Amino acid sequence: MPTDLMRGHLDRLLLAVLTGAPGHGYELTQRLALRSGGELDVPEGSLYPALHRLERAGLVESSWSSSDGRRRRVYRLTRSGRRAVSESRREWHAFSAAVERVLGSTA
Amino acid sequence: MSAIDAYLRELEGALRVRGRTRRRFLRECRDHLLDAAAERGQAEAVRAFGPAADIAAELDGAVATRRGLRSTVVTVAAVSATAISTLALIHSSSPGTDAPALWAIAFFVAAQVAGVAGALGAVQALAARRAAMPPADVALLARRNTCALVAAGATLFSAGAALPGHGSAMVLLAGPALLCVALVSVLRARSLARRIGGSGPSPIRSPLADLAALTRLRIPPVDAARLLPIVTCLAAAAAFARDRAEHATVGGALATASIEAAAVVACFAALGPRLGLWRRASSVDTSSWNKPAK
Repeated sequence: MPTDLMRGHLDRLLLAVLTGAPGHGYELTQRLALRSGGELDVPEGSLYPALHRLERAGLVESSWSSSDGRRRRVYRLTRSGRRAVSESRREWHAFSAAVERVLGSTA
Repeated sequence: MSAIDAYLRELEGALRVRGRTRRRFLRECRDHLLDAAAERGQAEAVRAFGPAADIAAELDGAVATRRGLRSTVVTVAAVSATAISTLALIHSSSPGTDAPALWAIAFFVAAQVAGVAGALGAVQALAARRAAMPPADVALLARRNTCALVAAGATLFSAGAALPGHGSAMVLLAGPALLCVALVSVLRARSLARRIGGSGPSPIRSPLADLAALTRLRIPPVDAARLLPIVTCLAAAAAFARDRAEHATVGGALATASIEAAAVVACFAALGPRLGLWRRASSVDTSSWNKPAK
């Protein structure tokens, strides 16, 4: 997927990959790559400004956590973040169904 | 120097945000790059991370937008608190005191400028709250907020200068205290916006387009040159009606309406470019008013 198109959806994709479990930035890029089959190509550094936006908007929260002898910033969804994921899914299904009806139409 | 160290140095040089946010961001980037390098090697980790200048610009833009929005909330609170302090000051003035005409005009002009600039900033912030604002828009938002705060301070000052009396210090000082807090917040947002490229010419941003984006109503685009006479007539009519309701003579009410109209035109001419309503040039450029708000 083109990077510019991908950027517009990065915030909601990050929220979606945080749904299952909290994670640090590098883990989130791995989840994105895994769940998209490597199709979603975005500069990995873009995750951090996006996570900053989401945290300031109250959709995720973070704290330092130690594992393997290293400290990492771990992000988790807030209650508002979970609501945002549900809303985002509803919007996406409606949007993709509408696009499919237009692009998939042979008439 | 390793590829990761060189990249982080470049990133650090490109970042304009200072303080805790900067330190945390750089720390997280280092952690990420070290994790990625352990799996893919340093060169690939740095390549996948993206160009340092772009990543730095994204964080700077996100922080500047956030500061702009937050300072607008504080500005609205400060202008409201100053309005309450001003009303308290007026109600605590000595009975039968008549304010000198010049102070009264200064009071009404400053109050209206504070209200209009505050409303422009609030509508712009609400319309743009879900997207990253370009630095020039953050700078414009800061200018609108600064104008609202200075005018709110001038309103309180002119009321205090015109009407001697005694009132509760707590209530009277609440407005100015919050005004100072808001001014610091606005100046921080403005400073960052200027550092990331928002110091150029002020963009033209239509309040009607912002209002349409905010309410999803179909508000017809009206350029600044057409909006000015409409607003001037409405303001003059309101001034006339208010004076007549207070039992002023028709002549007196007409004089008040004329002063109001002149004040609206003068403020539009003097403050319009700062507030992003029109651009000072050989001809008034309001073509971008019809573009939808970002």
